[in-house]
Amino acid sequence: MSGITLYDFELDENCYKVRLLLSILGLSYRKVAVNMVPGREHLGPVLMALNPRGSLPILTDGAVVLSEAEAIMTYLARAYDAGNTWLPPAPKDHGAVTMWLQFAIRDLHAAFFARRLAMFDETGDEVALSLAARRAFRLMEDHMTAREFDRAAWFVGDNPSLADLALFPAIALSRDFGIEHEAYPALRRWMRRVRTIPGFVTMPGIPDYY
Amino acid sequence: METGWYPVALAEGLERGTSTGTRLFGRELVVWRDSAGASHVWEDRCPHRGMRLSFGFVRDNHIACLYHGWQYDTAAQCRYIPAHPDLAVPGTIRVATYPSIERLGIVWAWNELDSAAPQEIELAERAAVTPVRSLYVDASAAKVFDALVLAECPPLKNAGGATQRSRTDALVSFKNGTDEILVAVQPLSDVEAALHIVIAGSPDIHGSDSQKRVSAWGEALRRDVEGTPQARELRHEVAP
Repeated sequence: MSGITLYDFELDENCYKVRLLLSILGLSYRKVAVNMVPGREHLGPVLMALNPRGSLPILTDGAVVLSEAEAIMTYLARAYDAGNTWLPPAPKDHGAVTMWLQFAIRDLHAAFFARRLAMFDETGDEVALSLAARRAFRLMEDHMTAREFDRAAWFVGDNPSLADLALFPAIALSRDFGIEHEAYPALRRWMRRVRTIPGFVTMPGIPDYY
Repeated sequence: METGWYPVALAEGLERGTSTGTRLFGRELVVWRDSAGASHVWEDRCPHRGMRLSFGFVRDNHIACLYHGWQYDTAAQCRYIPAHPDLAVPGTIRVATYPSIERLGIVWAWNELDSAAPQEIELAERAAVTPVRSLYVDASAAKVFDALVLAECPPLKNAGGATQRSRTDALVSFKNGTDEILVAVQPLSDVEAALHIVIAGSPDIHGSDSQKRVSAWGEALRRDVEGTPQARELRHEVAP
């Protein structure tokens, strides 16, 4: 048993990113279920002491305490991915993976908020969020279309990387906030490939078939 | 809405054992390919409770509804109801279908449900085609055609002289020298269209390099047609 603890909300896509990577890396961990909605437990004194941002996921590993899914994924890849494939060390691929992790945080933030609005009745401008989410999905679609012309299957390099795992949840869950997969044929094919990664797991809203 | 043959997907992009939802004039369709390789275009609605079949999944030569698992064979006939495994399913339970055909590397549907004998598709097959991509545009098909009939053909392998354009109801051909690009236009709704783009000629000649050039050309065309994001309202329209 490793010393990893994940503070997790089952319906949160950022928590899912971390569960996905933990499963793929074959790491055992202790999962602490946090009632984020409607309980707002993540804003209670215990978790606020761990993460003053008041967000999930939070991961602890011995003395290490981290928040933000992409940062946690980077840590786990460096600490536990012996093959070094999930965060490739070659400068070109490393830079590209980091760029897509940034994309997952910034460009796809609209998708995150659009889903929170649709699923959890949070406030927001539905039209503006949907427009921004679709703009991000289109950039991903154009990228994977170009990758297929080079017979490449993944966002970066010849193997799946953290980029694929960080980008997957927002589009896989897009029907939760009313964006169909119709306009994204290259992403549909890529999503099917992501599902074949050994250790892949689903979450509510992502069916276990395809 | 004119009756005719309309493109609904690129043939190569539709993998065996998969389905996708799409629209023609706001009507929802499911396009799927069975494990034997045949493509099907049906109304996207399970007759049981109206659930979209494109939310379901393809297993072997059946498509199954996500809701209660009703399974339909390639003739759209319901063959299995999990809640009543011993029931001989009545022949009346079937999904409404569109006649469909694959031509020019594109899946085409005749937009009249359960019509037995559509008019023959009047598209001359090319010896070989190289698929490029499907491009979804936030503009009407009419607006897309307006832009297409003014567009220049990007130079590929054997360009020469001016671009020669010709158009049928749903297809525009761009010829330049012996290069030819074909763009089939799918009216999704009054405000959205899809472009299914292929290059006439073998992938051995047009793979990668020409595909990238034509894809970039399509993206530029999409920018022209849509205008700036602020000037438009994004919609996903479905017929009532």
